[in-house]
Amino acid sequence: MFLTLLQRELLANLISFRFSVAVIICLMLVVTNTIVLIDDYENRLASYNTAVNKHQIDPDNVRTYSALQIKIDRPPNPLSIFNQGLDRRLGNSLVIYYTYVPALWDTVSHSADNPFLNLLSSIDLVFIFQVILSLLALLFAYDAVAGEREDGTLRLMLTTSISRGTILLAKYIAAMICLVVPMIISLGLALILSAESGSFNFSGDDWVRMGGILLTSTVYLSAFYLIGLLISTTTRRTATALMLSMLIWGTLVMVYPSLSVFVVNRLMPVDESRLKSAYREIEQIWESFEREQEDFLKKDPVEGEEINFNVKGFIMTPSISNSNEAKLQYHISRWADWDNIFPESEKQIPHVLAFYQFIEPKRLRAAEKTWQVRAQALEQNYIRKANFTRNMMRFSPAAMYDLATEAWAGTDFDGVEDFMVAAQQYRQTILRYYRDKDAFSSRQWFAVDKGAVSWDDLPEFSFQRAEATTSALRAMPDFAMLFLINVAVFLAAFLIFAKQEI
Amino acid sequence: MILHIAKRELYDHFNSLRFAFTVLLFLALMIANAIGHFGEYTTRLTEYRTKVAISLDKMKGHTDSLFSLMQNGPGQLYKKPSALTFCADGGEQFLPEYVEASNPTTHGMIASWQSPGEEPVLIRNNWHLRYPQSNPHLWNITPDYTNISWSAIISLLLPFIAILFTFDAIAGEREQGTLRLTLSNSVARDSVLVGKFLGAFFSIGIPFVIGALINLFLLYTAGGVPLGANEWGRLGLILLVALFYLSIFIALGLLVSSRAKRSSVSLTILLLIWVVWVVLTPSTLGSIVSGLQPTKTIDELDNYRYQQRENLNAQYPLWNAKGPTRAIPATEMTLLWAEYVQKEADLNEQLHREHLTDQIAQINRARTMTRISPASIVQYTIESLAGTGFAHHLSFLEAVHRYAPEFRQFLLDTDRTDPKSPHAPYVPEGASELPVSFSEIPKFEDPDRVSTDLNAALMDILLLVLFFVVLSALAYLSFLRVDVL
Repeated sequence: MFLTLLQRELLANLISFRFSVAVIICLMLVVTNTIVLIDDYENRLASYNTAVNKHQIDPDNVRTYSALQIKIDRPPNPLSIFNQGLDRRLGNSLVIYYTYVPALWDTVSHSADNPFLNLLSSIDLVFIFQVILSLLALLFAYDAVAGEREDGTLRLMLTTSISRGTILLAKYIAAMICLVVPMIISLGLALILSAESGSFNFSGDDWVRMGGILLTSTVYLSAFYLIGLLISTTTRRTATALMLSMLIWGTLVMVYPSLSVFVVNRLMPVDESRLKSAYREIEQIWESFEREQEDFLKKDPVEGEEINFNVKGFIMTPSISNSNEAKLQYHISRWADWDNIFPESEKQIPHVLAFYQFIEPKRLRAAEKTWQVRAQALEQNYIRKANFTRNMMRFSPAAMYDLATEAWAGTDFDGVEDFMVAAQQYRQTILRYYRDKDAFSSRQWFAVDKGAVSWDDLPEFSFQRAEATTSALRAMPDFAMLFLINVAVFLAAFLIFAKQEI
Repeated sequence: MILHIAKRELYDHFNSLRFAFTVLLFLALMIANAIGHFGEYTTRLTEYRTKVAISLDKMKGHTDSLFSLMQNGPGQLYKKPSALTFCADGGEQFLPEYVEASNPTTHGMIASWQSPGEEPVLIRNNWHLRYPQSNPHLWNITPDYTNISWSAIISLLLPFIAILFTFDAIAGEREQGTLRLTLSNSVARDSVLVGKFLGAFFSIGIPFVIGALINLFLLYTAGGVPLGANEWGRLGLILLVALFYLSIFIALGLLVSSRAKRSSVSLTILLLIWVVWVVLTPSTLGSIVSGLQPTKTIDELDNYRYQQRENLNAQYPLWNAKGPTRAIPATEMTLLWAEYVQKEADLNEQLHREHLTDQIAQINRARTMTRISPASIVQYTIESLAGTGFAHHLSFLEAVHRYAPEFRQFLLDTDRTDPKSPHAPYVPEGASELPVSFSEIPKFEDPDRVSTDLNAALMDILLLVLFFVVLSALAYLSFLRVDVL
């Protein structure tokens, strides 16, 4: 009996006008947008490859340990075609240097992208599903019960021995098949197109992630279908059900996410005073560092101008201090690249060696202290606010769906943070390399007259996206919430329908 | 008769669920928009004035000699914020707020050497216009969603609500049989249509305008937005455009409703048209068109610029030549150096300008194509009328490009009045060293341009008219031919 019902519902849906139109439009949009997204991914991949080549260490330019600045790049995420998240827009190139701990706020972009392009909003596949398929789900659901009641067929059906639960379940399953099939077909088309292009190398983990995105999409659609079903069981007339569904859809999908982001952003401004005090704290760290340096130099018998210890023959010793209050960037560094030291200056060199041996560990300590202050202030000012915005958005299932798929794809903030953590670990590796080579107390820290450093055994940077299980864990809260919405709404619809007079 | 029908429609709508929803939605969004923009304009204006003052201060520091001013240029030139950002933010946060018109580096050196037994030669860069390429989005970790501005409310939501009010206007009455009843009386078909049109128009337009007025009231009294005659004129036009845009979608709704057999079919068609035409077309088409002809990649750009500079250097074989001198009249060498430094700055400016032109062309192509969707048209119109967004940025750039030659000409003219100058400007030896009176230097000010903004909007308004005429004619014809049964 259940199968007959299912068959009937399925056929009714399949031959309906809304189904065919929605499927055609969904396929059309997915195909055109996939082409755009693949093109965009390929461009970003090309910029990434160019950048990686360009950022190889050039032994002619980088000759001393103190001059070692390594540029690393974040590869584009192939799953960004499903949900672009933050992957495309956040900075993707970073300098690893021993005098500061790198953070997202130190990144730049490695492409020559037209900055005006930000004016055009971009669309990913998840957005298409989020808007079109949820609309379709409601269009399937609004007359599921109300329509049959109006037609009188519901009464007819209930006179047979079919239970009410079976009717509801058959309707649900039939509609879900009609919703999921077009989604799978369009995802399949997207995958075929990306395989055609040849620039996508999906790993085993990526397939798991795609499975996760598919599953989340199914649960999302089911949530909207069930909301529609609940409306359909509670309203007398289909017209009312339809109107109510559309109003709820407009609120949940179109209005609420934007409204919550806008309100939180405007009413929770960046705490300037907190930023300023953190910045002052960081300045003080470096001031005390400079005092230590001065004290050391005062005790030293040969100081000379500009900390060159009267060594003759070298070109110059640039000293760099980098500062930006809004991003809490501040560090003082100096790198030297002395060649041709005159023989009469040779007796000065032990002083230089002693100086660097003394000062560089202090600089590292200042960098660590800066990071402690900076990490906390960045967290309090920017990250917490962004997280609060995300939590406020979560009252809408559409936003939950967006955030969950972002987590699956690894294009969420955590995914970008993974890269930052890898960058910070890489800096630690470089520091270990310095220690192994005794770099701070070596002559090659500042001079190349006895030969430049060979970078053959310099550890290389590599970045792997988080494993699929990590992505799954990150997507889990939103996924679980969507699932709970399903259960709750289904129970509500079932109970109301079971107790209803027909 | 039309009025009768319109009145009936109005009463029907006023009692409906959708009307209550519409009122609530407009109020919520408009109040959120107002609260979100409290004090925002004042803050931005203060920031703008501070930055301009700092920039002018720097310029004042260079007035001790004409040459110093000549080398360092006018400094950063800022774009004035608009008071009507709450109407359309126009992606202002992505647009640079200034143009750099200063020396690239304070110690920027083209050439420096010393031949034995001669004075050292020190040649420095000259100032030229540069356009910030930075992307403020690189550290923005908040989720990316549409800003709640008037233009978002108008371009996305007005059509959605228009659809909800019109999808059953004819199809629904046909289903219930009331259409037959109405037409069996001696009511002309066109008056039924016009009556329905007016009914929907007023029942959406009234809450919208009320919401907008509440928004303006809040912003004016508590939000620090000054509303003068200029602003009211612009706001009035924006409201008119919005109502006009609304009528496009009412006409579309009536058209589909008169063609569709059942109201559910009508709604399905209308919603899908809305999703595709209003929500997705602007972004998808924009991405497709801007991807067709991308600007130069970073490598191509670097190579091209290097090549151009090499070409220039090949024309001026000045390496290890003698330096400029202060002899009057200027020696051939001084003139040559002056010419080279000027050409170098001109070339740099030209290279930056070329890249900017490419970037603008890329966006303009995308904007032209997206005008297929009336949502884009209305968004661009509101941006132009509010004096924000890309169109406004372009007119700011135009003002900068008018100002730069004016500034240069002033310096050259001043140099000519100094008899002690060799009149070979752009090298320190060749230019006047007299101080310049700060008040006489032409200063840059981003002008308020009602006429250019109106001109920019005019084409788009005409396009909207075209959309309306076509759709309402179609709706009229289709309703005349409608089968009542």
